[in-house]
Amino acid sequence: MNFSFSEDQTLLRNSVRAVLDEHCKPAHVRAMMEDSRGYGEDLWSEMAKLGWLGLPFPEQHGGAGLGLVELGIVLEEMGRAAYPGPYFASVALGGLPLMLGISPTQKERWLPAIAAGQARATAALLEESLDWDPASTTATATRTPDGWKLSGVKRLVPWAHVADVALVPARAREGLSLFLVDPRAPGVSLRPMVGIDLGTRSSEMRLQDVTVAADALVGEPGGAGPLLEAALRRAAVGAAAEMLGAARRCLDMSVEYAKVREQFGQPIGAFQAIRHRCAEMLLEVENAHSAVYYAAWALTAGAEDATVAASICKSYVSEAARKVCGDAIQVHGGIGFTWEYDLHLYMKRAKALEPLYGDAEYHRELITRHVVAAL
Amino acid sequence: MDLNYTPEDAAFRKHARTWLEQSLPRRELRTLDDRRAWHRKLYEAGYIGMGWPKEYGGGGARPMEQAIVADELARANAPAATNGLGIGIVGPTIIVHGTEAQKQRYLKKILTAEELWCQLYSEPNAGSDLASLRASAEDRGDHFAVTGQKIWTSGGAIADWGLLLARTDPTVAKHKGITCFLLDMRQPGVEVRPLKQITGSSEFCEVFMTNARVEKSDQIGKLGEGWAIAQTTLSYERGGRSLARVTSYGAQYRRLVEAAHRIRRHGRPLIDDAIVRQKLGRIWAELEVERYNALRVLTILERGEHPGAASSLTKLSYSEFEKRFMELAQEILGPYGQITEGAPEELKLEIDTAVGDHGTWAHAFLWSRAGTIYAGSSEIQKNVIGERVLGLPKETRADRLGGRR
Repeated sequence: MNFSFSEDQTLLRNSVRAVLDEHCKPAHVRAMMEDSRGYGEDLWSEMAKLGWLGLPFPEQHGGAGLGLVELGIVLEEMGRAAYPGPYFASVALGGLPLMLGISPTQKERWLPAIAAGQARATAALLEESLDWDPASTTATATRTPDGWKLSGVKRLVPWAHVADVALVPARAREGLSLFLVDPRAPGVSLRPMVGIDLGTRSSEMRLQDVTVAADALVGEPGGAGPLLEAALRRAAVGAAAEMLGAARRCLDMSVEYAKVREQFGQPIGAFQAIRHRCAEMLLEVENAHSAVYYAAWALTAGAEDATVAASICKSYVSEAARKVCGDAIQVHGGIGFTWEYDLHLYMKRAKALEPLYGDAEYHRELITRHVVAAL
Repeated sequence: MDLNYTPEDAAFRKHARTWLEQSLPRRELRTLDDRRAWHRKLYEAGYIGMGWPKEYGGGGARPMEQAIVADELARANAPAATNGLGIGIVGPTIIVHGTEAQKQRYLKKILTAEELWCQLYSEPNAGSDLASLRASAEDRGDHFAVTGQKIWTSGGAIADWGLLLARTDPTVAKHKGITCFLLDMRQPGVEVRPLKQITGSSEFCEVFMTNARVEKSDQIGKLGEGWAIAQTTLSYERGGRSLARVTSYGAQYRRLVEAAHRIRRHGRPLIDDAIVRQKLGRIWAELEVERYNALRVLTILERGEHPGAASSLTKLSYSEFEKRFMELAQEILGPYGQITEGAPEELKLEIDTAVGDHGTWAHAFLWSRAGTIYAGSSEIQKNVIGERVLGLPKETRADRLGGRR
C-alpha cells in the first residue's frame, strides 16, 4: 500500500510544470483568449514531442503506456496553468474511449495520429436536456445501404472547431450506439458557445442527415452504454484533476498575497479571519488531492470501488474547487475582482468544469445508488 | 502509487481477524476487572503496545500493522482495551524522555494495564492556551509538592498514575517554566471528581491537588523542559486509529441507511427522497475521502517520516466530518435520534462509540461535539496549519513576554 507518487511520477510533474511555466504563462493564456483557434501550435507540437498527447495510450499505438494517475498529474498541472487548448478534449475525452472501445483498425487509424499531435479528438456527450446519463441520448442513427445517417443536436462539444474526429452517441433501432464523426463532414454545423472561461472553446454541433461509413460505428449497434459510462467516469476524474490544479493555484496565490498585503499595520495573513480561511482552503485542496488520485488509481487498477470512487471524486472536487477558488477572490479583495489580475483565469477554469461530466448532485445520486445497492 | 495491500499485510489482517473471531469476549464487559482481562488477552496476542520498541516489551510493529489491528477490532465491534493514554502517550513519553530507572519501574505495568494512567494537562483557565497552566510544583528538598486543579482528565477516576505538567518557575516566560512529572494518584493530596458531560456520562474528571507529593525520581526530563516534552507528546499520534475510525463510521452509516428505509415522510421511505439521497451521498463521499486520507498518512508513517504539523489537517478534517455526519443522522432519525432508552430495536445504533458502551445515536451525536474541542480545537488546528504549514505570519500576541504569573 503506497499512496504517494513514484520517482517517475514526480519527474513527470516537474517536467510538465517546467514546460508550462515557460510556455504557458498568463500572457500566453490571455493571448489565446483572443486567438481564432484558441490554442498555440508551437506548444501543441512540443507536447507531442514530450509524449504527453499519447500518455495513456499503449506503446504499440504510439503512446507512452501510462495510467490515469500520470494523466491526472498532467491535467492538474494544466489546471494550475489554466492551459488553453484541446489537450483534455483530445487525450482524455476523445482519446480514452477510443483506446477502450474501438476495433484494432479504428485504434490504428486514430491513436498514433492523436499521440503525434496530427489529429485531435473530442466527444459530444451532451444534448439540450443537459442530462449526463448516456441513456438520455436522443440523436438518431438510421442505417443506409453502406453505413449510417446521423441527426441531432449536441451542446457544448469541447474544441469541436479544431477536432478531426468526434465521438457521437446516437440512438439506433438496436439502442444506444456510438459513432466516429468528422466535424467538418457535410451536414455537420458548428456554432461557438462562448463561456466565462475563455481558455476553453466549445461548440453546438448540429447533425443533419450526416452520412458516415459502416466502419464509423464503435463496437456493436445498441452496445455503447457501458463504454459511454466508462468514458464519462474518466472524463469526470480528468476534469477533477484539472480543477484541483486550478484550486491549488488559487490557494497558493492567496497565501502569497496574505503574506504581503498589509492593512491595519500588519500582513492580512496574521488575522485569524484570513488565516483560518486559508487553512480551510488547504484542507479542501488536500482532500481533493486524495479524491482525485485515489479515483485515478482505482480506474487504472480496475479496483472494485473504481466506479463509485470516480463519482466521489467529481462530487467532492466540484464543491471543494468552488469553495477554494471563491474564497481566493475573497482573500484578495478588490484586486481579485479585476480582469488584469490573473486569479480569475484559474477560478473560471474550475468553474467551467464544475457542471461538466456530471455535477456534484449528479454524482452524489450515483454514490447513493451504489451504497444502497451494496447493503 | 499502489493502493492494494501487500500480500504480507493482507495475511497479517487475516491472522488478526481469525484471532478475533476466536477470542472476542462472549459476554459484555461489566467491570474494570473484565476489561483488564480482555486487555491482557490482547497484550498476550501482541496487539497492545504494538508500536513500542521490542526492548521495552512492545511489538516493534510497523504503523500499517498497528492500523490493521485497530481496524479489525473496529470491524468486529470489539470492546476497547484499557489504559489508552498509558499506551499511547505516557509510555512513549517515558521511552523517549525517561531515565533507565523510570523505564524499568513503569513501562511493563503500563503495557499489562497493571497500573492505569491519566494525563494531567488541561486546567480550567488553560485550555487552548495550555502553556498558561498554573498548577505549581514546589521544590521541598527531597520531593516536589504539587498544588492546583486539572480538568478534562480522561479516565481520572480509575487511574493509578498521572502524567503531570506543572509550573516550577513562575518568573520566566510561560513556555519555559513548566516541568513534566509522574504523579501517584493514590495519595491523600489528590482528589478526583467525575465531570458529568452533556452526554450524561463521565468519561472525564476534575483532579484537585493539594500539596500532593511527587518524588524527585519521578521528574521527566530537566526542569523547565515540560512544554517541549508535551509538544512531542501531543504530536505522538501514530495513525493507529486512522483506518479504524473510518470503519466505525462506515458501520454507523450502514445502520443509518437501514433506518432511512424504515422511516417515512409523505408516505414514502426517506431513502426515496431526493434530498435525503443527496445528503447521504455527500456523507459517504466525505467518509471515503477520510479513508483515502488515512492511507496517505499511513504511507508517510510507513516511510518512517512524521506528518508533523500536517497532522493538524487530519484531525481538523475527521473531527469536523464527524459533526456533519452526526447532524445528518439526527436529521434522518428525527426524534428517534435523541432516544437514550426505549428506541425501537431495529433503529438502535449497535456500534461501540469512541469511548465505550454507550451505543445510542443520541450519545454518538452529543459526543461528536467533543472532537473539535479536545486535543487542540479546530481553531487551534487552523492556526497551526496557517502558521506552520502555509507559513502565514503569526499574529501579535500579548503573552509572548516573560513575567510572574
